[in-house]
Amino acid sequence: MRAEEIRLGKTRKSLFKDHVMSILPDGGNLNLCLTCGACASGCPASGIGDMDPRRFLRLAAMGADDEILSSDWAWWCTMCQRCIYACPMKIDIPQLIFNVRASRPREQRPKGIVASCDAALKHDTCSAMGVSEEDWRFVVEDVLDEVRAGQAGFEKLQAPVDKVGAELFLNQNSREPVTEPEEMVPLWKILNLAGADWTYGSKGWAAENYCMFMADDASWEHIIRTKVKAVEDLRCKAWLNTE
Amino acid sequence: MNIELLTLSEVVDVNGQAGNFTVTVRKNPRYIDMDKCIACGICAEKCPKLVKDDYNLGLSRRKAAYIQYGQTIPLKYAIDPETCIFIQKGKGKCLACEKFCPTGAINFKDREQIVTLNVGSVILSPGHKPFDPSVFDFYGYGRIPDVVTGMEYERMLSPGGPLHGHLEQPSNGKTPQNIAWLQCVGSRNTNKSDNGYCSSVCCMYAMKQALITETHIPGGGRQTIFFMDMRCHGKEFELYYNYAKDKNIQFMRARPHTIEAGPGGVGVKMLYSTEDGRKVEEQFDMAVLSIGLEAPRDALDLAEKTGIRLTPYRFAETGDFNPVASSKAGIYIGGSFMGPMNIPSAVAHASSAAACAAADLVSARGTLTRKKTYPPEADLAGQAPKIGVFVCSCGINIAQHVDVTALTEYAKTLPFVAYAENSLFSCSTDAQGMMGKIVKEKGLNRVVIAACSPRTHEPLFQDTLKELGINGYLVEMANIRNQNSWVHQKQPEKATQKAKDQVRMAVAKAGRIFPLAQMEVPVVPRAMVIGGGVTGMTAALKLGDQGYDTVLIEKSDRLGGNAWQLRTTARGEPVRPMLEALIAKVKGHRRIEVLTTARITSATGSVGNFTSDVEADGEVRTFSYGIAVLATGAAESVPVEYLYGQDDRVVTHLQFDRLIADDPDRTASLASAVFIQCVGSRDENRPYCSRLCCTHSVKAAVDLKTQKPDMAVFVLYRDMRTYGLNEDLYKKAREMGVLFIRYDLENKPQVSRDGDRLVVRVTDPVINRKIAIDTDLLVLAAAVVPNDVADLVSIYRCATNQDGFLNEAHPKLRPVDMAADGLFVAGIGGFPKPLEESISQAQAAASRASVILSRDVMYLDAIKSHVTEHCDGCAVCLDACPYQAISIIAYAENGRTAKKVETDKALCKGCGICQAACPKGGILVHGFTIDQLQAQVYAALDLPN
Ligand SMILES: Cc1cc2nc3c(=O)[nH]c(=O)nc-3n(C[C@H](O)[C@H](O)[C@H](O)COP(=O)(O)OP(=O)(O)OC[C@H]3O[C@@H](n4cnc5c(N)ncnc54)[C@H](O)[C@@H]3O)c2cc1C
Ligand code: SF4
Ligand code: SF4
Ligand code: SF4
Ligand code: SF4
Repeated sequence: MRAEEIRLGKTRKSLFKDHVMSILPDGGNLNLCLTCGACASGCPASGIGDMDPRRFLRLAAMGADDEILSSDWAWWCTMCQRCIYACPMKIDIPQLIFNVRASRPREQRPKGIVASCDAALKHDTCSAMGVSEEDWRFVVEDVLDEVRAGQAGFEKLQAPVDKVGAELFLNQNSREPVTEPEEMVPLWKILNLAGADWTYGSKGWAAENYCMFMADDASWEHIIRTKVKAVEDLRCKAWLNTE
Repeated sequence: MNIELLTLSEVVDVNGQAGNFTVTVRKNPRYIDMDKCIACGICAEKCPKLVKDDYNLGLSRRKAAYIQYGQTIPLKYAIDPETCIFIQKGKGKCLACEKFCPTGAINFKDREQIVTLNVGSVILSPGHKPFDPSVFDFYGYGRIPDVVTGMEYERMLSPGGPLHGHLEQPSNGKTPQNIAWLQCVGSRNTNKSDNGYCSSVCCMYAMKQALITETHIPGGGRQTIFFMDMRCHGKEFELYYNYAKDKNIQFMRARPHTIEAGPGGVGVKMLYSTEDGRKVEEQFDMAVLSIGLEAPRDALDLAEKTGIRLTPYRFAETGDFNPVASSKAGIYIGGSFMGPMNIPSAVAHASSAAACAAADLVSARGTLTRKKTYPPEADLAGQAPKIGVFVCSCGINIAQHVDVTALTEYAKTLPFVAYAENSLFSCSTDAQGMMGKIVKEKGLNRVVIAACSPRTHEPLFQDTLKELGINGYLVEMANIRNQNSWVHQKQPEKATQKAKDQVRMAVAKAGRIFPLAQMEVPVVPRAMVIGGGVTGMTAALKLGDQGYDTVLIEKSDRLGGNAWQLRTTARGEPVRPMLEALIAKVKGHRRIEVLTTARITSATGSVGNFTSDVEADGEVRTFSYGIAVLATGAAESVPVEYLYGQDDRVVTHLQFDRLIADDPDRTASLASAVFIQCVGSRDENRPYCSRLCCTHSVKAAVDLKTQKPDMAVFVLYRDMRTYGLNEDLYKKAREMGVLFIRYDLENKPQVSRDGDRLVVRVTDPVINRKIAIDTDLLVLAAAVVPNDVADLVSIYRCATNQDGFLNEAHPKLRPVDMAADGLFVAGIGGFPKPLEESISQAQAAASRASVILSRDVMYLDAIKSHVTEHCDGCAVCLDACPYQAISIIAYAENGRTAKKVETDKALCKGCGICQAACPKGGILVHGFTIDQLQAQVYAALDLPN
């Protein structure tokens, strides 16, 4: 954290915090902080770069806008919501952080996240790893064949893709099909043993959404709409996202 | 005698209006005949059905035939129909209790009864309900064995509780060494709970538990309290806080996020972030959740039946200027049903409710009261002492550390002792009955009670004797609890030996006591109220309304005191109109005489009959009266720091209130304002918290923000102490954008002038950053200091605490009585408090006072000095007597003039100083004569007298 004195008082500027409050229901309760520290105690990103959610909010309250807006910590937050869960005042720190992210010019946001979002926008699969529909179908069928052939008791294992009218539409993080395809199998087995009527889609199956994490609202919306359409096209009743 | 207790009963309906209510009550069956039950406990012993004991929050078990706890009033057993085998399963089953009850008290034919009562006033005091922390899944309550609530922990610590005071970790039964308390669980929380208020009591109870824990663990162990603000806003609470810090209780300003079970499910583990942002992981043997208080479960139901309104928190709605009146005329509220509060406040509110209820019924006063009569006293003259010794176990309070059986046997061997026995609670109604029987049967004429303090219990035992026609002064007590078992918990053998010594001393004295006669003093049914602030006026009004002539004395030239300077109460009710109405009422009251620019200059006499000179406007008048209420108030201190007096932008609280009232345009034009809290409070010179300033500042900040929403407003504080429902205001201030910044005593804000700018510098502890605030106005929350009462202290021989606030007789049980009978204290002269609390105390004082004023005569204690034939008038005692009770008289003897002293029984307090001063045995204090004391000393040394 910086050392210089924070000057407050008569010359009151319009704060970034006030802007965020104006767009959140109940202003996200951002003014209500008791500085109790429950958020900081539970946050997995506390301490990184000498920052934690309470300090972040406190700086916002003190009008240290340039500090929070330029802070890399906003990207360390995992958006896990642990802070708001235990906060006695239900203060929406994740939304404050989200809006800090959103206010960064796109080219200054973390490269990895931007690249993942861009990749997801390329195909209707929404895969941040850039997996195409054909590749996806191939991997699923390939792994399935291997299990059926090699694992006793699972000769009839199912992993349907695009089964119209299935009960459940299952999403899958696209890291697995690319790097550790066999990691998808345990869930298939559970669903089969439980007698679930499920399917993957060839479109909209990727569970992750980096456009949300990078606070790119338009792209986030595009991704969600693509996924919803995929579920609706297959006339599935429920959409199961394991992320 | 004038109280009828309906137990196991519920209110079904309340109809009618003030002065004439019909209350319908359902009396649930007890299945035990109260007249026959002697509380021997055999039913519970024989009952085979074990059930969870609600009283100990399920931590222990009781039988289906039970009493809740040893001191239950009335001490009568009951059968719990939900679990009784016979009631549940019917014919032919169990009936063990019926078989064994020696008095045939079991009555399974008992049925629910509906009774209707006709009453003039109703007081509702259903209390509160402890918060259930299961809603916070992250604390693991109910899942992790070593996480308990404050309430459960209270029972675990209690010597009378399920663990008999031997602390055990629930998971493994070991003595916990390292315990954490988490404050504000279910209070000050609007996430997963609706309890936005502060429960007021949990900071203090956690501290008390931590301190007691320290004494329960060999080596003391380690106690840590995790808190947001320590709220020690009561009289002497801050001292207690400082004491706890000295005792090494750890106070950690942090809030753990999650509690996890420790390794193998034993203990707990949590991660917390310190105020300066360090992350600490720590394991504790136990975590205690300091749960708050909520409205009782059936609050809504009760409100519907009685027609009263509730607040959004479902507490009873009351007004600031009528703090115990519900929204319905004739129905009053006592205690925590009107919001969370501690015992002293609850007791004061209860008395206050009694005053209001009684005032409504003045016209009918005395029509239904019953008076106690005693049989004529038997003449015991010439009888040799025949002493009965009654040893009390006080549940386990005494019996745990003193071998009461051995003690009882020992007592039997002492001279003149004709009988000795031990009982569980000697003070229970039952034990009293038994005692009476035995005294009669055995023809005892002296009684020694080895139990607790005569201060609290002697009157009870005296009464038992009086009911038997025996002089009440023939009882002697040995305090084997407060002076023995409580202080020698670790040395049971020595404690037993000491108890024997104490009993031997008491018996030695009992052999020499003789009947004493109480003096009757007619009660002057007039009240004296000193101090004409809101408290004094309210007390006078309540007394006047009850028909007592009242003299109200005000030192200054006008009534009203501090209230003239206040704008609104915390809840926004305007003060001025209330004050003016109150003054008009007091002045116009036919029973109240108001004297301004007046001073009391002397006081003689005692309870029921005081006489004082009052100087008013240069004229001296003499009044006699039965009681006095001291409502002398307090004032704002003058700050000596932060440029006060050097810059006119720096003002105190009360100056601010005047400013915003007189010149609202000026305050509305400010760009910024800063409040500094605890100015002159909670420091070395004044180690107390002024209680009302946090709320005052928060209210002022809200007012400024209301005037001008974009004003930059800051409050620099040490702990925000907006206790109780005041927390809502604190929240509102934050909501409106007021910024609160904490500072420490070691690191106070700095105020300086920079050209014509006024700058306040403070370090924010969370971001550890210097903040410089440019401000137009600086408001100092100056400490509240008591008015000088030195003259009253010497006139009435009463006392103040080290801070100069008038003392009550007992902070919990007698919060408005003073130690000297007939004197009462109320308002901010006792301790700082907001208007509504002052008013409530004033009404409480009036209620307590009317207990005396409603009598025709008072009986004075018979412990008084008596002059003997050895007095030769040397007058040594004259100066020694602190109460001016002794005077010298001349009389003729054998034709010569002789001198001797004479004592005024009304003035004498029986302190014994004269007896000690007299070299010749010329003056004795009855009840503590030289002869009696000497016998005790010899007995103490175990020497023949
Ligand atoms: C700085 C300050 C801020 C406060 N802020 C608030 C607030 O925001 N909200 C709120 O509700 N309450 C507030 N209060 C408290 C409130 O003023 C009191 O609770 C209320 O006025 C009742 O006071 P009282 O009658 O007990 O004492 P006082 O108002 O002090 O009246 C005592 C009276 O007794 C007279 N007197 C004293 N000694 C003698 C004597 N020997 N003989 C005869 N007369 C004597 C005095 O002249 C005075 O008139 C504040 C008080 C102070 C001091
Ligand atoms: S948990 Fe909530 S109230 Fe506590 S410091 Fe964090 S944001 Fe503030
Ligand atoms: S949402 Fe962000 S700030 Fe809140 S706890 Fe999770 S990582 Fe920390
Ligand atoms: S601040 Fe209030 S609610 Fe919190 S623990 Fe203390 S007294 Fe209870
Ligand atoms: S400002 Fe007053 S009420 Fe608040 S903590 Fe300080 S002394 Fe107590």
